[in-house]
Amino acid sequence: MFRTIRQIIGVAIINIKAIQRQPLWIVQTTISVSAWALTMYAWGSTRALDNLVLVYIVAGSWALGMNTVAQSIGWERLDLIYDSNVASTITLPIYFLGKIMGLAPYFLVNLVISMAVAATTGMRLLLFLPLMFVAVVSLILGSFLSLSIILRLKTPTNISAITNTLRTLTINLPPLYYPLAFLPGMLREASLIIPTVSLMEMARWVIHTPTECDPILSFISLLSWLSVSVLLVAKKLKWGSE
Amino acid sequence: MTKLVAVADGLGRRFGENWGLKDMSLTLEKGKLTVLVGPNGSGKTTTIRILSTLLKPSKGSAEVLGMDVLTDFKKIRKRIAYLPQGYEVNRNLTPAESIKWNLVARGAPINEAGLDAIEWIEKMGLEKCKDRSCWALSGGERRRVAVSIILSTNADLIFLDEPTTGLDVEARYATWKIVRDSLKDGATVLLTTHDMKEAETLADTAIFVKDGRNLMSDNPQKLIDSLPSRYRITIKKEALGDRFVKESVDVGDRLVVYAKDEDEVRRFQADFHDLTGIASVNRVGLEDVYLRLIKGDESYV
Repeated sequence: MFRTIRQIIGVAIINIKAIQRQPLWIVQTTISVSAWALTMYAWGSTRALDNLVLVYIVAGSWALGMNTVAQSIGWERLDLIYDSNVASTITLPIYFLGKIMGLAPYFLVNLVISMAVAATTGMRLLLFLPLMFVAVVSLILGSFLSLSIILRLKTPTNISAITNTLRTLTINLPPLYYPLAFLPGMLREASLIIPTVSLMEMARWVIHTPTECDPILSFISLLSWLSVSVLLVAKKLKWGSE
Repeated sequence: MTKLVAVADGLGRRFGENWGLKDMSLTLEKGKLTVLVGPNGSGKTTTIRILSTLLKPSKGSAEVLGMDVLTDFKKIRKRIAYLPQGYEVNRNLTPAESIKWNLVARGAPINEAGLDAIEWIEKMGLEKCKDRSCWALSGGERRRVAVSIILSTNADLIFLDEPTTGLDVEARYATWKIVRDSLKDGATVLLTTHDMKEAETLADTAIFVKDGRNLMSDNPQKLIDSLPSRYRITIKKEALGDRFVKESVDVGDRLVVYAKDEDEVRRFQADFHDLTGIASVNRVGLEDVYLRLIKGDESYV
């Protein structure tokens, strides 16, 4: 077991070095996340700030999975680092967990700032415990969906262009930063087909705040997406023996 | 008794409609360096990827370290290391970090990995750049880091796919030395190259690969000694005049002809009063073995 933990740390350190050597990426994340919080605060909306706490958890973990982890795996497949790792003592769980650990600082920025925002609105910090469960689901689903697309690319390409677009499509456009109630009646339920919207509803449900739609619908949407993404990734994300 | 580390029998692999590998049989002896040599697209990489358990064979069978590649791949992977062709090191790490943390990722204790990294930095002549991120290194230096990462694992069987591509002469010789030295530590190495000179210099056994098949394999010197000729003479066509040369290889404005022995070389030279017509005289090598093989020369067989 200690050897496995060591291996995960090894993979994590390799990935964390990217952040250490290129710190401007995390500076950008910090500025962006802080700016949104400041904007909402300046407009004086406590409701918006409460919502922002959930967005940072859901969107932060989603982006970690979809944009960061999946992108990193995609690039390592092209650079053949992935193949070298397969033909070694590194297993897929070690690789995946190490990668998440190494790239987690991006999510930690979201977590710290959302906790700071929660403290200003009087939200209980204990509620972050159930929210971490939502974060895990969001991370896994985000990375699997992204990988199911990246791994099907036939020609080497700029993977970032694809994952950044996916990230923007699933976070900025759907009702995450703005309330689901903003959409007219039928569209609210229809929008649950977008996994990030369902994740937001699930986040509201776990901290016992009112949800716009029946939570069952969000669960069904997320379960369906998880099943589909697991199947799609399992077909393509082989750890050797292809 | 010779111990075999890997045995492949009739391996084939299909990619869609095409057979990238058609019929590969080979054995790898423990503690020896075997080189798969052949042109691009001949099946060398596919062979290595099957033996390193990245690909399943479409036909045939293979055992690595006494274990079947289809059923025991997880156990095999614990004892092998693989450097793919075109492998790019993570440029955000320094050479020392690359070796150390890749060893830790493969299970080595952190302190030991750090010491091993220092040792390998010295072996590969990377002291001057050991603390610079790989962004700042040349292509040759990054390649040496990549080779170090794999060789430092002390795996029982090491696969190196074109490890010296892109390296300058000095770096290539340094890599050759390190690869041969790793055999003393008990490793077995399977290396691929399209460079016949590299195969000649490094291999205990050379296996010629073409069109997905093993054409011939043996110790390089035995292969060379089996040729009917000992020398190759490169002559300029313009100096040939009316002379007829019965067996030759056309290389544009020059011809490569073969001589059985030194006497025949001297006779040839005597024939050319103006010796500037002769570009070079060299002993035959693996390249010539390969040329005769693919030409289907019966005098060779």
